[in-house]
Amino acid sequence: MARYGMVFDLRRCIGCNACVVGCKQENSLPDGMFFTRTLSEEYGVYPAVNRVYIPTLCNHCEDAPCEKVCPSSATYTRDDGIVMVDAEKCIGCGTCAVACPYDQRSQVDKDLLEHGLFGTDELTPFEEDGYKRFVPGTITKCDFCSERVDAGLDPACVVTCPTEARIFGDLDDPDSQASMLIRERDGKPPMPELKTKPKVYYVD
Amino acid sequence: MNNPQPAQNSLKSGRWIRSTCKMCLHSCGTLIHVTDGGIINKIEGDPDNPSNNGKLCPKGNAAIMRHYDPNRFKQPMKRTNPKKGPGEDPMWEPISWDEALDITAREIKKSLDEDPRKILPSLEDFQKFNIWVWPLAFGNFNCFQSGGTMCGGAYHPANGYIHSAFAAANDAKHCNYWINNGTGDGFSSHLHAAAQSNWVANARINRGMRCVTVEPRLSTSAAKSEEWVPIRPATDRHFALGLCHVMVNENLVDYRFLRKDTNAPYLVGADGYFVRNAEDKIYVWDSVENQAKPWDDPTIQKLALEGAFEVEGKECKPAFQRFKDTLDECSPEEMEKITTVPAETTRRIAREFFEAADIGATIEIDGRTMPLRPAAYNYYRGAQGRKLGFQTNHAFKLVNFLVGNIDAPGGHIGVTLDDQWVDKSHVAPGENGMMMPNPHQLGPIPGFSYPPNTFHLMDYFPVGVHPPHLNLMVFQDPKKYGIEFTPDVMVICHSNPLWAMQGPREEWFRFMGSMRFIVVSDIIPTETTMWADVILPSHDALESWNMTMIEPPHTEGMCMRQPATEPLHDTKSEEDIFYGLSERLGILEAYNGVLNMAQGLDHKPDLMLEPDKTYTDKEMADRKGRLWNDQGIDWYLDNCAVTERRPDKWYRPWEGMRLHFYIEDMLHQRDLLKKNMEEHDVPFRDDWYWDDYSPLPTTRLDPVHEEPEEYNLYGMFFKDIQLNFGESIGNPWINDIVYRDPVHIALMLNPKTAAAEGLESGDIVKVESPYGKIYGRIGTAEGWHPDALGVSNSLSRIKVRHDGVPHAGGHFNDMLPYDLRNTDAVTGQPETVCRVKITKLDDWPEGLKQGLTVYDLVDDIQKPGKGRSH
Repeated sequence: MARYGMVFDLRRCIGCNACVVGCKQENSLPDGMFFTRTLSEEYGVYPAVNRVYIPTLCNHCEDAPCEKVCPSSATYTRDDGIVMVDAEKCIGCGTCAVACPYDQRSQVDKDLLEHGLFGTDELTPFEEDGYKRFVPGTITKCDFCSERVDAGLDPACVVTCPTEARIFGDLDDPDSQASMLIRERDGKPPMPELKTKPKVYYVD
Repeated sequence: MNNPQPAQNSLKSGRWIRSTCKMCLHSCGTLIHVTDGGIINKIEGDPDNPSNNGKLCPKGNAAIMRHYDPNRFKQPMKRTNPKKGPGEDPMWEPISWDEALDITAREIKKSLDEDPRKILPSLEDFQKFNIWVWPLAFGNFNCFQSGGTMCGGAYHPANGYIHSAFAAANDAKHCNYWINNGTGDGFSSHLHAAAQSNWVANARINRGMRCVTVEPRLSTSAAKSEEWVPIRPATDRHFALGLCHVMVNENLVDYRFLRKDTNAPYLVGADGYFVRNAEDKIYVWDSVENQAKPWDDPTIQKLALEGAFEVEGKECKPAFQRFKDTLDECSPEEMEKITTVPAETTRRIAREFFEAADIGATIEIDGRTMPLRPAAYNYYRGAQGRKLGFQTNHAFKLVNFLVGNIDAPGGHIGVTLDDQWVDKSHVAPGENGMMMPNPHQLGPIPGFSYPPNTFHLMDYFPVGVHPPHLNLMVFQDPKKYGIEFTPDVMVICHSNPLWAMQGPREEWFRFMGSMRFIVVSDIIPTETTMWADVILPSHDALESWNMTMIEPPHTEGMCMRQPATEPLHDTKSEEDIFYGLSERLGILEAYNGVLNMAQGLDHKPDLMLEPDKTYTDKEMADRKGRLWNDQGIDWYLDNCAVTERRPDKWYRPWEGMRLHFYIEDMLHQRDLLKKNMEEHDVPFRDDWYWDDYSPLPTTRLDPVHEEPEEYNLYGMFFKDIQLNFGESIGNPWINDIVYRDPVHIALMLNPKTAAAEGLESGDIVKVESPYGKIYGRIGTAEGWHPDALGVSNSLSRIKVRHDGVPHAGGHFNDMLPYDLRNTDAVTGQPETVCRVKITKLDDWPEGLKQGLTVYDLVDDIQKPGKGRSH
């Protein structure tokens, strides 16, 4: 069984947010909700100044704090390492959202599903069709596009990335592009000191 | 998950359709997913398309939100509120298509019958040139669209001279040292942004291509480059001339290229013209025999590039020597005073650039051995949008000339706009061994006339694209310019001049208000549609057919667009609309004649349109497809016609001809215009800036540097990939990313500059230039040149009747000039940087208070809890 993870190549990422919008398309995300984001941070003093673009999403931690605190066992880890939320079981208590140190969980607010992307209290056909996947009041997050993965496809954010800055793959396969990048360019997980064992790595 | 059906959109039951994107003008390949229920729920890049390789930019990813925008025009409408103005509700009344077209044709005809010049077109769909050329059917050359000046008024003619092409790109396939000056190419904007970003990222990471970005701001390109060279706005030409100074004086030059492939050895007389013999052959100097010979004399042993000679009693110098003389005053130290770029930086980059160009190296491609020059200088709007636009373009090109990389593998290469048919060549031999210059890349221009035939004075820009900003200058004083007609009908299609034009909005409002009738064909409400009398709503790009090729940097071939669904609303294709008007106006035969010529259909006579017929968007697409590769539309449904550019057309297509290092034609054009103006006693000829015409760039300062000192900063405008071209603000997904980005939510200053001005982040300010003003909120960041005030395109909208488009507190373009002093007399390119002063305010002025500006939207979006994601 694979152990799926993602590598972000910070040298490639141009902070364009194509991934962010691609994710909104694929997952029919309501207004203001993100399963992935691209942050940007300037550092240094003029003229020795630069900016880094930092993509983020659920880190699918092996020792996931969100899973540990979930009182209804709604959050679980698939055999392939993808951390999931079962909306049928989720009671919407939000404990997981507080426990996630990476701020990667969102509550599906009923208002959001009704207010609509254009703020008119009417839904476009795209939203009417897409919002069916959500159960109001529950918690949701990135699942590495698990249905695409099951179908043998890469996550939506990965396929659209203009600079191929997102590399998805099996971290247990030493020959996967993701594993090789982590090895060759000294990939680092976000906030390793928390010992959550993220399956997301950054290389620069 | 327990969902019975796949919940992710790309896996729902449905079908995938091959098409192309229209969220900018550049037509990346797409796959569109339509569910069994007929809902478009996912758009991805087409992996079979070698241009974008399955990738899409954020805007391409956001096309669905344009399609389903509830603000879309849903049927033809006429205005019932006769009062027009910003914020005035037009009080639209739905009408039938017949009525809409009848009214429109009736109103156009009133003016057309009086004087065709009374029609002012603004037709700007760059994927549909068949609409763009419509006014030619009644001999009208007016122009109210921004394409050209706000894009590359000087850039396109310059590429026409140097490459005989529309645009230019660095060859990402082989380039190892990439200078990006005032452009987002390869990172955030310009040609096929998603595609080019992919090519460039692979060059950077896989091949280690080094990037140097010269720009006043820490742009995406600068952030991703090995080196950011901050530069004072509007001084890029001087930086390039400083590089040339170092290269020429340190012999960092591909002399072989200049001798063999350019007119750099041609002898130039004191008057600037080449020295010709009685047979009109241009002289060169053979430095072995020490004598002048015609350029094609077979006995020539070595062409002199330097020196001063006398030929037929005339003092003359090789063109290269003339350039070298110009460079005497361009030492990096001198240029530093203007650009602020340290002289040592300029010297180092010049040397690195030369070293990387690897002069002498060759490469074999398809059995052809060519120079390999893997270093190239690229630039675009930010660097070239100057009053002296043509000279500025030329200076950048000359950096490339010096290393012999023009159209060479790894170098700086001409990019054609639309090749029309597979084996069409875009270059042709001209006089005296040189390539034919081809500055008019967008088709015919009106030619000289006095009194003028165009309201924007295109009659006097023989090398230009169009200077539409001059419509306003002429409007304010038509008598001064000898105008004998008053435009009173506007025909607008996919164009938003009230957003794009430079000059104060208030004055443009007066201009709009002077029109008797305005018809707009568009999809959603904009600044401009608010002024319409009739709205003719068009299909969007997910509902219509098209076939186009639009300046793809590394690929060629027709891109087919097909409808993914039936139209959502009672709309028509642009073809149906303009054929409907043409029939009613009695210009159908003339329009089809124009299309046969402009679309290149006359190249294959069996494709030519019949005079008395109308054609659908699908039929037009089918013809363009057949013109390209003899394949009809059905073939395109299953096949991607886009291929990588073929090396024989992409690399050095002019082999055996000489390129225009020295552009003598500038003097021909200047003197012809002068003569015409004298003969016709044109009263404003003394106002004409004749010095703008120069066969080589000069160090003359653009007038923006000579504004009163109280305007102590340089205002500049910028975009990134989320805002590249139009189709951006108002789209909820684009709003959601743009207004979270610190670069796009404030008027940006370097913190030291802000401190010196007594300003802090968050302060409300008034910004004034000598020409106009805006209001806004200050932000600070280290990634700004201390002389610059940066204004994002995201802060440029004025309130329109679209819920998602917030008022910005004024448009940056309000502060830009619209006069001849700030217009390139060669090309019509206006200055796009302005000098500004900033005044701190205690509060927003009336009309912008209480939740009325884009800054309120920014605050709202950034509130914790929004989307429950924080």
